[in-house]
Amino acid sequence: MSVVTINGTTPIHRRGRRLSLRRRRQVAGFLFALPAIALVVGFIGVPIGQAVYYSFTEWNGLTSTWIGASAWTQAFHNSNLWTALQNNALLLLAVPFALGLPLLIAMLLHQRVVGWRIFRSIYFLPTAISWVVLGLVAERFFAYHGTLNSLIHAVGLTHVSTNMLGYESTALSALGITFVFTMIGTNTMLFLTGLATLDPSLEEAARIDGAGRWRIFRSITLPHLSRFIQLAFVMTVIALFSALFSLIFVMTGGGPGYATTTMEFLIYQTGFDQGAFGTAALYGLILFVLTAIVGVVQLRLIGSEE
Amino acid sequence: MVLIAVIMLYPFWVMIGTSLKSEAQFLSGGGFSWLSWKNLTATIPVGQEVLSSTIVCTASILIILAVGLPAGFAFAKLRFRASTVVFLVIVSAMMVPLQAILMPEFVNVTKLGLTGGYLGAIVVYAALGTPFSVFLFATYFRGVPDELIEAGIVDGLGYFGALWRLVVPIAIPAIATVTVLQFIQIWDDLLVGLLFIQNTSERPITVGLAVLAAGRTTSIPELMAGSLVSALPAMVVYLVFQRYLVKGLTMGIDR
Repeated sequence: MSVVTINGTTPIHRRGRRLSLRRRRQVAGFLFALPAIALVVGFIGVPIGQAVYYSFTEWNGLTSTWIGASAWTQAFHNSNLWTALQNNALLLLAVPFALGLPLLIAMLLHQRVVGWRIFRSIYFLPTAISWVVLGLVAERFFAYHGTLNSLIHAVGLTHVSTNMLGYESTALSALGITFVFTMIGTNTMLFLTGLATLDPSLEEAARIDGAGRWRIFRSITLPHLSRFIQLAFVMTVIALFSALFSLIFVMTGGGPGYATTTMEFLIYQTGFDQGAFGTAALYGLILFVLTAIVGVVQLRLIGSEE
Repeated sequence: MVLIAVIMLYPFWVMIGTSLKSEAQFLSGGGFSWLSWKNLTATIPVGQEVLSSTIVCTASILIILAVGLPAGFAFAKLRFRASTVVFLVIVSAMMVPLQAILMPEFVNVTKLGLTGGYLGAIVVYAALGTPFSVFLFATYFRGVPDELIEAGIVDGLGYFGALWRLVVPIAIPAIATVTVLQFIQIWDDLLVGLLFIQNTSERPITVGLAVLAAGRTTSIPELMAGSLVSALPAMVVYLVFQRYLVKGLTMGIDR
């Protein structure tokens, strides 16, 4: 831009006015953002800081006594923490299913057979339902007089009966299966959106070149979907760490024993059943670190995109 | 594909089938009865709980929009000093699960005297929903041309007028996305309603159901009837606004 006088104002004059305009815009911007900043800092930021402080104390919600680093060594000697971490780790085994099945379903829907829109709506419908309700239904499914046993009997195994939620060895698997079911809608939706952005002429060209179905899937579809798969992976893992509360609350209450107590449920139990607020805050920080690791992975993925 | 449809419809089939049995019929296996639906309101205060859910959802979403729209506008168009860093901090708050800060949050909100009725839950839902809405609105507003806003300012609208008269009307799809996603999330949530609304007569329906279910003394057919009632509003919202939901989920990678 060349410096010329317009409408009789000198360049210096103009610069001064522009600065004050810019300044006004900045003030307006700050004021517009302030309520959001206050809400997030006050109700998310500050509690993180408090959790760090209280994790070194014995705290019942009213009074706290500083006990220092021994709070942490005590916590790590508590077998319940390790059980919960182990349960979370075991539940990670459900993630491939929570991604693989939706991918398969999305591929099916993408064939666009007659009535695919109706099927799509039906497949996504459970997404709208609360996990509390889905947990209640799952409890019916796994119950002794439930659907699972009816199915087993229907295929002829009349002397076999299960009660998966009733035993320590199987309750976590039942929870994992329910989790996979609850994630199907969301992940299918993601993959279907991904497939819709795929250029059909690419597949067509590959087919003409003589590539088989599997080859097209491996070399064209899968690489194209990679960003959607990454996003689904991160969302699924985060849900696994922080959204199972409703399911556990209605299906098992964390039991039998501690068989289905995950980190998030342990925090709730420790704080609200045992009143050990300090220990619960400490467990909260561990969960925070676990999700932060997943978050950093996601940030790197977004970063690599731009 | 039909098999998958049957599996996905299984929850509805269980809810409808079980709720149309009396307690005795449920235990013996067969039969049909409207009894559970007749007794429903006596066992579960469905009307009151649906009203509570509606109040909490509406208030939280209004706050999320009132806070998120100007902030998204500011981060996209009215950049101030360090606004990029502040934006990143707010967006990363999306990743903080409530359970991680549950204890301090609960004590703080209790000390503020908000955990009796709806207010505590409303504030917590609003705070948890704000980061995503700010992210979504900022992303959306980046597509609005600067000239449009400058023209508005020159015309004497002021910044607030520019936001209200020029930006909000074009942002209706983004507003719909935030509203639908938050509605389903808040309507379906258990943890916040369970802990931050201590007054049992102001419980949202999801909390009411979960508490009865965990108590294990309520008749299962009635519980299923209540579940169906609780699921209906979210299902209707979902079926009507399906496309906004998809848009919100893929926001950020599908530009």
